[in-house]
Amino acid sequence: MTHFTALLASNDPPTLAELVNPRSIQICLVFSALLFVIGLFGFMTRRNMIVMFLCTELMFQGVALAMVAFGRMHLDVSGQVFVIFILTVAAAEAALALGLVVLLYRRRATLDVGAWSELKEC
Amino acid sequence: MLGLPATNLLALKAAAGDEIPGAVTAIPEAARDENLAWAGLILLLPALSAILCGLYAALKVKNRLPGWTTVIALAGSFVVVCFLYAQHEPGQPTVIHLFDWINFFWGDGAFQSVRANFALYVDDLSIFWMLFVTGLGTCIAFYATEYMDEDRGKGYSRFFGAMSIFLLAMCSLVLGDNLVMLYLGWEGVGLASYLLISYYYTRQSAIDAGKKAFIMNRIGDLGLAIGIWLIWYNFGTLEYDALFQALNAYLPVADAGKLPGTEIGQPQLGWSAYLIPWFLMVGAFGKSAQFPLMTWLPDAMEGPTPVSALIHAATMVTAGIYLIARTYPIFWLEMEAGGYALATVGWVGGFTALLAATIALKQYDMKRVLAYSTLSQLGYMFMGLGVVQTFGACFHVYTHAFFKALLFLCSGAIMHGLAGQLDVRKIAGLRLAKGWKIVTWCMFIGGLWLAAFPFTAGFFSKDEILAQAFVQKGPGFRALGWIGIITAGLTAYYTFRVWFRVFGGRTLHIEPGPEHHGDPSSFHPHPPGWRIKAVLIVLTIGCFAAISTGYWGIGHWIKGMVTHSSAAWGLPLHWHEGDIPFFGGDPHFTMYFVSGTFGLIGLAIAAYFHLFNRKAAERLDERFKQHFITNLLPRTLEKKWYLDEIYNALVRIPTYLSAKFLYLFDRIVIDGILVGGIARIPVLVARIFQPLQSGALQGYATTMAGGVALIAVWMIWVFLQKGGG
Amino acid sequence: MLAGFLIAIPLLAAILIGIAPSRMARWLGLLGGLATLGWGIVFASMYPFWSEIPQEGANLAGYWPVNDSWAIIPLVGLELQLGVNSVSLLLVLLTCLFAPLVVLASFTAITERVKEFYIWLMIMNASVIGVFIARDIITFYTAFEVSLIPAFFLVAIYGGPDRREASFKFFIYTLVGSIVMLAGFVYLVMSFADSVGGWLPSTNGGVNVWDIDALTTYAREFLTPGEQAWVLLALMLGFAVKVPLWPLHTWLPLAHNQAPTAGSVNFAAVILKLGAYGVFRFVIPMVPEAVVEFAPYIAGLAIIGIIYTSLVCWAQTDMKKLIAYSSIAHMGFCMIGLFALNPIGAQGGILYMITHGLSSGALFLCIGMMYERHHVKEIERIGGLMKSMPVWSFFVVLFTFVSVGLPGLAGFVSEFLCLLGTFVGSTESNGGYPGVLGPWFGIIAGVGLSLGAIYMLYLVGKVVFGEEKIPEHDHSHDTHPLPRDLNFREIITLVPIAIICFFIGLYPTPILEAIEPAAEHMLSAYPEIVEAASKTASAEAMPTTPEAFRMTLTD
Repeated sequence: MTHFTALLASNDPPTLAELVNPRSIQICLVFSALLFVIGLFGFMTRRNMIVMFLCTELMFQGVALAMVAFGRMHLDVSGQVFVIFILTVAAAEAALALGLVVLLYRRRATLDVGAWSELKEC
Repeated sequence: MLGLPATNLLALKAAAGDEIPGAVTAIPEAARDENLAWAGLILLLPALSAILCGLYAALKVKNRLPGWTTVIALAGSFVVVCFLYAQHEPGQPTVIHLFDWINFFWGDGAFQSVRANFALYVDDLSIFWMLFVTGLGTCIAFYATEYMDEDRGKGYSRFFGAMSIFLLAMCSLVLGDNLVMLYLGWEGVGLASYLLISYYYTRQSAIDAGKKAFIMNRIGDLGLAIGIWLIWYNFGTLEYDALFQALNAYLPVADAGKLPGTEIGQPQLGWSAYLIPWFLMVGAFGKSAQFPLMTWLPDAMEGPTPVSALIHAATMVTAGIYLIARTYPIFWLEMEAGGYALATVGWVGGFTALLAATIALKQYDMKRVLAYSTLSQLGYMFMGLGVVQTFGACFHVYTHAFFKALLFLCSGAIMHGLAGQLDVRKIAGLRLAKGWKIVTWCMFIGGLWLAAFPFTAGFFSKDEILAQAFVQKGPGFRALGWIGIITAGLTAYYTFRVWFRVFGGRTLHIEPGPEHHGDPSSFHPHPPGWRIKAVLIVLTIGCFAAISTGYWGIGHWIKGMVTHSSAAWGLPLHWHEGDIPFFGGDPHFTMYFVSGTFGLIGLAIAAYFHLFNRKAAERLDERFKQHFITNLLPRTLEKKWYLDEIYNALVRIPTYLSAKFLYLFDRIVIDGILVGGIARIPVLVARIFQPLQSGALQGYATTMAGGVALIAVWMIWVFLQKGGG
Repeated sequence: MLAGFLIAIPLLAAILIGIAPSRMARWLGLLGGLATLGWGIVFASMYPFWSEIPQEGANLAGYWPVNDSWAIIPLVGLELQLGVNSVSLLLVLLTCLFAPLVVLASFTAITERVKEFYIWLMIMNASVIGVFIARDIITFYTAFEVSLIPAFFLVAIYGGPDRREASFKFFIYTLVGSIVMLAGFVYLVMSFADSVGGWLPSTNGGVNVWDIDALTTYAREFLTPGEQAWVLLALMLGFAVKVPLWPLHTWLPLAHNQAPTAGSVNFAAVILKLGAYGVFRFVIPMVPEAVVEFAPYIAGLAIIGIIYTSLVCWAQTDMKKLIAYSSIAHMGFCMIGLFALNPIGAQGGILYMITHGLSSGALFLCIGMMYERHHVKEIERIGGLMKSMPVWSFFVVLFTFVSVGLPGLAGFVSEFLCLLGTFVGSTESNGGYPGVLGPWFGIIAGVGLSLGAIYMLYLVGKVVFGEEKIPEHDHSHDTHPLPRDLNFREIITLVPIAIICFFIGLYPTPILEAIEPAAEHMLSAYPEIVEAASKTASAEAMPTTPEAFRMTLTD
């Protein structure tokens, strides 16, 4: 935030960047961190595959929100561009993942993630 | 020491025909003549014939076309050689450049080029050799057109193709103007010999013999190759002409009785130059089947008989003598510097002569006897080179080529007519059979010549060598001479043992050979046809002609040829009044009586035991067999001094075992322990982290989150360390 | 553009094979191979420096086309640069020659996953040619590594029973070697860029830091002996695995043995040459001081390899393995020739790459043809084929003698020059090019000549000659019935190689002349460095008495 105070100290007329409220960005970031942690916590504790999948989506959204916030901070659109990519990928991935979940369900007739541990090595 | 003044070749030429004084002569620089490119036909004709024979084989030609093609090509070569000889000026070498082979340079000076082109070095020595090589080659190919008749459509084209390759290689060996081309011919004749020995490829013994010949020759070839490399190392050239010119520089020093390289102002010869003869010698021993590389030649008799006659008696095996005669200046300089290379050549030759002659005493296979006699005669030639009698050696090469080819072709005719029978115990009185007169008496003539019966060509040529052993001063040369004389007696014995056994006797008795199928009593020998007989007669005439060329007749023709070439660096010493006498006189005179006596004694013993009183021979045999001790010698001789077995135990088996051991080593140590061990490392590292792979999805998530958290903590810590914030 | 077609044509053929139906695959493969060969010949005929190279300018090694380049990563000034000199062009021609021949040899041998097979073959050709025509280090390395992929799949899919192990071993072995080599490359380029002031030609004064020749000049002039030694070790590790140099050879017998015929042929004929070419292109010209120091050891390894593998060959029971081991011995000759550091050995070594490719490629072709008929590779189980397969036997015997180094055939000229170069390449030699090897190296390596005859004639004696012995085999499953002896297609496959073997054996002059400037260029730094090295060695050894030592002190 140093560059920001420096900007404020200068005599030039304020630009759009200077008008961005750092407080609002802080709020956004804190919120995104919360989203991410909730998602992570949910992913690690729940055993239902669909819920776990929802939790990953939550983490995604947390990251996306942080991106938008940082983009705003730097007055750069690339953050938003990334988010659009993430959304697209997330949509595709959701379709794929849910499909997988359905297939897995068909095989074992349960949504419990503990039913699947084929990759175990020892 | 040779104290006579150096005479140049012009003086020699003036003296041609007279007694040529022993002298060291400078070798004149070769003339380069582009107009003689037609001499390339000598090589081209056999090459064409080889290609044509290949085509015939591909087209499955069933008639005698391959044979006639080869005969015509070889005859053409012979004619071209004659033309070359006709225009040749004695003593003046000519280089005829045909085309570039290996030719590159990276500077203008000495030692800055590698030149080995297809070019011919035509001097008296090479023409001399070419004359009998192509001449005999033609005759024997002609003989083979009949001899190989039964193989028409099967191996006929292959046989003549290989014959053509042989002549091609032999011509490039002799005519090549550089050592690499000699090497080309050297290995080329080895190839032809391999192909022809294993001609009957379904016979295991034939394949083994071919393999043995090629591999043993390869061992010798390594020596030759090292000699060639050493020559470049020391003289910076591979061409004879440049080599001889470089060597000429040492001539005056050596001639003055000083060691080459000791005189100030003379270029120094490095120590490695004195190693050259030793390595070349190994090559020569390999090709000419001298001890210890001799055991391949008797086995080589597995090939068809014309091959034995041409390659393994008359021409190829004399390549070793040619090599040493060609590079004689190097040998000679080594001797002048106090070395023993030439003496070693002589001693190895003498030893081989005796060894082979003793083995020949107890062999029953006619061709084997002849093979061992070839070894023995080659030993004489090396002895001749060793006692500085290059003329004698070359003379013996020449006479031997005729009489040995004749003997082989006669035994070939017998083998051909008797369904492959060669065992002297199973044939008797063949002279009584119908149509065998010519073979009988041709073989008799050949035997006389081989046995060095007085006043035959073999007698003169052998005595030149033996006598010189008593004139030349060298380590134990007198003993060497006596070895030669004793060998002469043995030679007469074993030669006539064969002849008396096979042709002598009062009744005709023949057991048919392995190729006869059916009732033995119904077997009749079929006498040779006109082509075989014609060749035998021609060779017999050649044998008689050899007497005149050698001695009384046309004025020392061979001596002239040899002394006008590089071999002339080593003209023999002469016996003078006051030197050690041999039976009270000049060895060159008294030797006739001594060696003649020994020969006649051998002949007489053979006549007694194998013609007049065969019972006595059998009784003697029985007597020997009664006791282990007395049986030891005959048995050892029959088993060829166990040389094959010794080599097998000392060389082949250890090499094979080491091969097997190294293969095991390769699989277990290098591939197993080293490579496998290193490949095991990643696996071991993976073992450490394997428990992380628990199979529980949330376990992975926790690990991942933990990892991310760790990274985050580390980043914050770094951030704080740098005092940010 | 012209050089680019050499890569583009096989790649195009690969695409064509991919889209066409699989029954056409082999014909398209043949077409692709022929097109590659055709363009290779046209390209070679356009090469202007066959006999003479203009002696001015930077192009002393005779590279052509001079400005064939496309920018790839402009950020670091990286351009795709293609061009050949006479040596690489000869190797390209070797690759092009085998391109249609291996397709012909696979016509009936490959019956499953045909399309893919020919695609991999085409990619293999493209990548190997890429190595030979690369003029920048990135293209070189990329192509060097890409060539592993088709080789891997050719072995892994179409190989013998142990194909899994063989392909993995081959892949990982060579990959590990070339990763170390990559480290060496990275170090070279980094230090070059540092010393000239950046990557971009705009900032460093017009230097292309990726250009192999520029790198060579830089490395030769400015690397300290210590750095040179490390670079040499890194590069040699990568190349030595490919050559292969003893004791890094164990991937080769397995891979050769398990690969399908086409794969073995390509391994022997071209893949092994990548290593030797690397030595010619990088190691010897780049780090001369280190080479002078290490050459005796490398040559020592090569000689151990020659003797060792020649003996091991004799203990083989499998024909393909025998030829594979013999390749190691032969490449050992090539290596000592190159490290003899004089024009004789260099010419021999370079020519050896080509002649070895011809002879062992042809032998693998022959064995493949026999295998298709009798499904046997064990020497003991088959014999006397001369009777039923005379044409095949003729070719086997011919190529055996090429391999043994019979004069008049291709193998001899190169072998002789390699050994002569090694023999005379000692510090005492007057050759104008003192070397660090010498007679002993030549003599011991020469023993390999005799051993070579032993194992090759052992093979011929057992398989070609002898009593006829053909194992029973049920031919009803063969999809393509073959005649007893070679058919026309197979003869056509072998004849070109035979003709070239005779040609090189009898008239190598044009090739030697073409190689000569490149060899000279490779060695241009050497005489001085070797002499300097031998002088310091003798200066160190000079003070033998206390007086002499004191005198050196007072000086």
